Amino acid sequence: MPSLALLDPSHEHVFEAPTKKINEGNDVSTFLMSKAYTEIMTFAMQLNRSMFPVSAESGIQGIDGAKQTMPPDESLFSDTVRRLRTLLDELEELIESNPPDSGPRRFGNLSFRRWYTDVENRAPALLETYVPLDSLCIPTDSENTPYAELESYLLGGFGSAQRLDYGTGHELSFLAFLGCIWKLSGFQSQERSDIVEQNIVLGVIEPYLHLVRKLIKTYTLEPAGSHGVWGLDDHSFLPYVFGSAQYGPAISKTDPVPTEGSLPTAPDPGDVAKIASVERLRKKNLYFGAIGFIYDVKTGPFWEHSPTLYDISGVKGGWGKINKGMLKMYNAEVLSKFPVVQHFRFGSLFSWDRHPNAMTPTPTAHTSSQPAPKTSTPHTPSSATPNPPAAQPPSMANTPAPWASSNPSNISSSSSATTAAPWARSNAAKPPQIQPSRPAPSRDPPNRPQQQLDPLRNPAPTRERKPRDTVEDAKASLGMPPPTTKAPWARKPD
Amino acid sequence: MSDLDKWIAALRACRTIPEASVRELCYKARELLIEEGNVVQVDAPVTICGDIHGQFHDLMELFRVGGDVPDTNYLFMGDFVDRGFYSLESFLLLLCLKVRYPDRITLIRGNHESRQITTVYGFYDECLRKYGSANVWRYCCDVFDYLALGALVLGTSSTLEPSPLEPGSQSNMPPIDDSIEIEIMNSRNEITARFPRSRRRLYDHELTSSSPPNSPSQTQRTSTPSRTPGGGPPGTSATTSAPASPSGGAVLCVHGGLSPLIDSVDKIRLLDRKQEVPHEGAMCDLLWSDPDDIDGWGLSPRGAGFLFGADIVKRFNHMNDLSLIARAHQLVMEGFKEMFDSSIVTVWSAPNYCYRCGNVAAILELGEDLTGGGVVGRSNGDLGRARGKEEVVLREGEVRSGPGRRYRVFEAAPQDSRGMPAKKPVADYFL
Repeated sequence: MPSLALLDPSHEHVFEAPTKKINEGNDVSTFLMSKAYTEIMTFAMQLNRSMFPVSAESGIQGIDGAKQTMPPDESLFSDTVRRLRTLLDELEELIESNPPDSGPRRFGNLSFRRWYTDVENRAPALLETYVPLDSLCIPTDSENTPYAELESYLLGGFGSAQRLDYGTGHELSFLAFLGCIWKLSGFQSQERSDIVEQNIVLGVIEPYLHLVRKLIKTYTLEPAGSHGVWGLDDHSFLPYVFGSAQYGPAISKTDPVPTEGSLPTAPDPGDVAKIASVERLRKKNLYFGAIGFIYDVKTGPFWEHSPTLYDISGVKGGWGKINKGMLKMYNAEVLSKFPVVQHFRFGSLFSWDRHPNAMTPTPTAHTSSQPAPKTSTPHTPSSATPNPPAAQPPSMANTPAPWASSNPSNISSSSSATTAAPWARSNAAKPPQIQPSRPAPSRDPPNRPQQQLDPLRNPAPTRERKPRDTVEDAKASLGMPPPTTKAPWARKPD
Repeated sequence: MSDLDKWIAALRACRTIPEASVRELCYKARELLIEEGNVVQVDAPVTICGDIHGQFHDLMELFRVGGDVPDTNYLFMGDFVDRGFYSLESFLLLLCLKVRYPDRITLIRGNHESRQITTVYGFYDECLRKYGSANVWRYCCDVFDYLALGALVLGTSSTLEPSPLEPGSQSNMPPIDDSIEIEIMNSRNEITARFPRSRRRLYDHELTSSSPPNSPSQTQRTSTPSRTPGGGPPGTSATTSAPASPSGGAVLCVHGGLSPLIDSVDKIRLLDRKQEVPHEGAMCDLLWSDPDDIDGWGLSPRGAGFLFGADIVKRFNHMNDLSLIARAHQLVMEGFKEMFDSSIVTVWSAPNYCYRCGNVAAILELGEDLTGGGVVGRSNGDLGRARGKEEVVLREGEVRSGPGRRYRVFEAAPQDSRGMPAKKPVADYFL
């Protein structure tokens, strides 16, 4: 079975701090042919496979033939998993020391920024403690350590402090964090190599989801990208992937990943609409755990506030079929969506370089039914022209503009302000045309020449306004909550 | 029963109408909207509503609380669609009502009434799911392009007419007189708060004046005296009303806010609006901008439109002889929020937004000035006193008196009556 390749310690390796590469809609096609994309998908598939129940003849003990049942047997966790659990516990404790503000606000709670700053400050020490170098397999002639990469993905995994939101892009970042540890052989365990992946999901991802839900509830974090009721879930995706696998048919070591059928003891998928069943199952299964959280935060009929999940609960063909659909959907709705992946960063472990076997992504039936993106006249990049305002991906309380751009403070360092195409290095040919499965959050954010802003003798918005946090803090002190709908073409301001 | 009335009956029952009917309705609506200017003139009395976002049952609650069409005149400030489950039913019902009672309901465009935004925030997905094709989405988007960009409410009263109380309900409040500027009522038609005209406006140096609340829960917020005579003497704008008129002045309604490219209402009229909302420029800004506690203009974190401060609003209102800007576009937990010495208000009409925000919603009622051009006083008020105050205001060149404002605050509609539908075929991921 394919699994994420380990870094070969006999070759020299240079770690690099991950940077943003996806700056416009077209960059998503480049991403889909990158090494990073292929490896993330490989890692996700590998974890997914591990969550299917194991058939009796495989010789592995399990409850109901399915030792994937939660809660997991903690005695089987590796040291790495245990340490990561402690790391997550420590992050959770920081919530206590940063209680939510009680003052007037619009939605997201500004105290989340204090929690996040705390985490940022402690991250280097936490990583050295809980992901010690001697637990990783690093080429001895490495010029540096992997901590910059680990830290970037870890910090990307808990929502945006600026926007006070959390979504699947953050979840993806945490997956990449675990992927880094995997690539550095951090999870390799001599004694129980058969359950390594499964313990990553049950031992680390599950408590991670628990922490994230606590953050969302404590600080009322907004969904980071929202199709409103028409998305799968306001915040998460992976628990639906792994949770559906938990109820899939049992497989042996050599069986392919099932695409239909269910474990005989699995509940009916329709149980998601029955609150009693959800309460009973939410501690035992990741899918129902996620559904339970929806019930916690939303009021109203399930079929109305979560119609996509409701419809999926009518799928004939069992949990295997649901699992297969979830993987396809994850690929299309998370990894192929500009508003989500634009925030992903690329370093040495998850690399922007083109994967040697990358195939040109082809439009699916789903993608071809999408409306063509409205594109604006491409602007002529010029470093003299200020980029549009800082912007944010879709969220609930405020709609960001899809064409919105990246943070002013970022512009000089990376992105679209100048001509170098992000794929310039690896491109042998022009990046292929693919149909993004959603309206391509349109390409280039139109620039706004500042001189035009000021027909009224009013001071025009200036780029060099102080860091947003200052503004936000000032607003907070005035009881003014943070902003809201952002442009889907918006880019991340960090 | 005409086709139109049949559609209205179906949509009121939260049932969609056939694709061919949507097509016909959208065609009729376009014929009607194409005749409207970019800034529609609306006469008071009118009830101003903010974002709906497909919350159909809450829209029904809004009509219950505010009165049904055509008995009550309505002005909806956009964002009918996206995010909620019933964007189609909500928008099509409003469109039917517009076609059926064109003078009773005004619809202006929000930033979500756009092809690009609806493909990202849910309405497109909803149309696909409910009709199996994007045709209905296309018909609706074609209508979006014709929606007006703003509305100007004229003939408002500076006083509040008593609200007709429901039989059986009662109020402990004293009868209204001319000095009440703001009244807040709940969904049971009970008055929950009242605010007199702020004395701040009369005597600039008084620091202790009570200011209208920026929300019901923040009534105790102390106000600072307005230093800038952002609005100069109202007389300078050469309006028709006599100086002592109890008129509440003109109210500009727009979804988002102001634009640095627009210094007069007339400039809005010059725009070519019949297009997809652009990513930048005046039309974009009107639908995307937000007021903020800054000086001048600021970059919007939304990535479209701008932030604008009190100075901008006051200058704009003064230059255009406006007493108030009403806008929507931002969730307000209390349903409405007045800012900048009541020169601008945010009205939000989607309660428990997205099924989880826990906010209440509000609508804003502006009464009709019945005094016939400001000459005749009201019989139940102390006209002399009011007039005296007004004269002080004028002499001191202070903020112009705003219209009397009644906010009706309501919660999400009860949900128990909604049956569970059949599961629909799912996206091809699961086939």
